Amino acid sequence: MTARPLPPIDDDTRAYWAGLARGELLLQHCRDCGHVQVYQRALCGRCLGARVEHRPASGRGRVYSFSTVHRAPSAEFKEDVPYTVVLVELVEGPRMISTLVDAPPETVRIGQAVEIVYDRVSPEITLPRFRRAGASMTS
Amino acid sequence: MRSYRGQVAIVGVGETPVGKVPGRSALWFNAEATRLALADAGIDKSQVDGLVTAPSFVAPFARMSVAVSEYLGIQPTFSNTLNVSGATAAASVSVAAAAIHAGLADTVVVCCGDNMLSGLTRDLAVKALVESRDPQYEAPFGLLVATTFALTAQRHMAEYGTTPEQLARVAVITREHALRKPGAQMTAPITVADVLASKLVTTPYHMLDCALVSDGGAALVLTTAERARDYRRAPVYLLGGGESYTQEHIFCAESITTTGAAVSSRRAYAMAGVDPGAIDVAGIYDCFTGTVIMMLEDLGFCKKGEGGPFVETGAITYGGRIPINTHGGMLSYAHPGLPGGFFHIVEMVRQLRGEAAERQVAGAELALCHSLGGGFATNATIVLGTEATL
Ligand SMILES: [Zn+2]
Repeated sequence: MTARPLPPIDDDTRAYWAGLARGELLLQHCRDCGHVQVYQRALCGRCLGARVEHRPASGRGRVYSFSTVHRAPSAEFKEDVPYTVVLVELVEGPRMISTLVDAPPETVRIGQAVEIVYDRVSPEITLPRFRRAGASMTS
Repeated sequence: MRSYRGQVAIVGVGETPVGKVPGRSALWFNAEATRLALADAGIDKSQVDGLVTAPSFVAPFARMSVAVSEYLGIQPTFSNTLNVSGATAAASVSVAAAAIHAGLADTVVVCCGDNMLSGLTRDLAVKALVESRDPQYEAPFGLLVATTFALTAQRHMAEYGTTPEQLARVAVITREHALRKPGAQMTAPITVADVLASKLVTTPYHMLDCALVSDGGAALVLTTAERARDYRRAPVYLLGGGESYTQEHIFCAESITTTGAAVSSRRAYAMAGVDPGAIDVAGIYDCFTGTVIMMLEDLGFCKKGEGGPFVETGAITYGGRIPINTHGGMLSYAHPGLPGGFFHIVEMVRQLRGEAAERQVAGAELALCHSLGGGFATNATIVLGTEATL
């Protein structure tokens, strides 16, 4: 098994990855205009204010769109195909890219409720994945 | 409104052989296409004082426009290496037209070439993966370049009822067009059933829903409308241009089924002073079949959500409302990376000159070219016309 690309952490994203490592999905909230954003930035993408703070998200959302990958983008992903990439719309508003776990491709539909699963891949990196809301843990 | 409408014309076009062209460098594809375009224009390289090109994926030149100039033995006073991913084609023509109109240059070569097929090593394939996806928020999840576009198509199908068969029809029609274009990479007819039976890549896209990987290059020569009248070919005038850059990440897009193409095309139509209904023929960036369906809507050729039925009724081929990609597009003619969108522009010039042989759309006077990239992050539209449209 070859190593998959791990996210290179920087100052903008350190708190985000630390949050995931302890089981929290953090979203940035702007204290000036109330904007909630993905991805992590040093300023608010709406008002450019610097008073952005991390708050834990619910980890719940819906499948906004999906695509099941059958041809791996590189050797690192070959043993995983087919896997379903999802664009999740979080209940807090922003969308994020992830993959579904425990979901046979033919059962995936737009609009399905999903919840976060914390997938620890290294001491520093825990990837935010999603599963059908209410589905039982099988792994 | 300030405008370059009618001030600049395309007076020469050139295309290298496309498909699998081993042994040739990205510089060669640029230079050979330029040599052919200068010959088509009937001018010497000494008349060129500007050059715009895009970076090569394979060759390591960061200043590609400067490297191409040196290869050609010219020393231009305007140079731009432009990269807005797939939108680079129409955006480059617009930038060159603006430079000419503003007096930065008189005669500009806009070229693009690469050897994506022959030059693509495993290391470069990995580089493509890493560079095209956000390393923290996307790459860890194993997205293909195609997956971003696939997400938009999947949502379009859910919102508007677009079907896999309608997507496949785009590939079938484009292939029929390629059969009339000498030198096209793909030369065998296909059916809807063939498309649906081809291997799934990233749902809803099968192999035949996806653009090719090719070697090839294309070039255009642009000059002032005043000078253009003395050239040997009928000038094709730049009537309008518009661009739109809506987001970098697909997850930051406000909508994934209505794109910046609606904005870029509205700006291009406004500058040109024409409506979509007046366009006779179009070159639409066809990286994927569903992309074309969404663009037909955003460019105003049909209503939002009606792109699928529009394609199904034959509107995008000869005798239909708006024949598109008469050269076979990136689905069937060639797609060498950033050069892919330039062949659409070369083809539209040929259509407006009446030189498209058995591909000719009778009486074509107004053409549109639309280029896009990065999962609809970037969009650029240009409107071209014959002298009669000025
Ligand atoms: Zn704010």
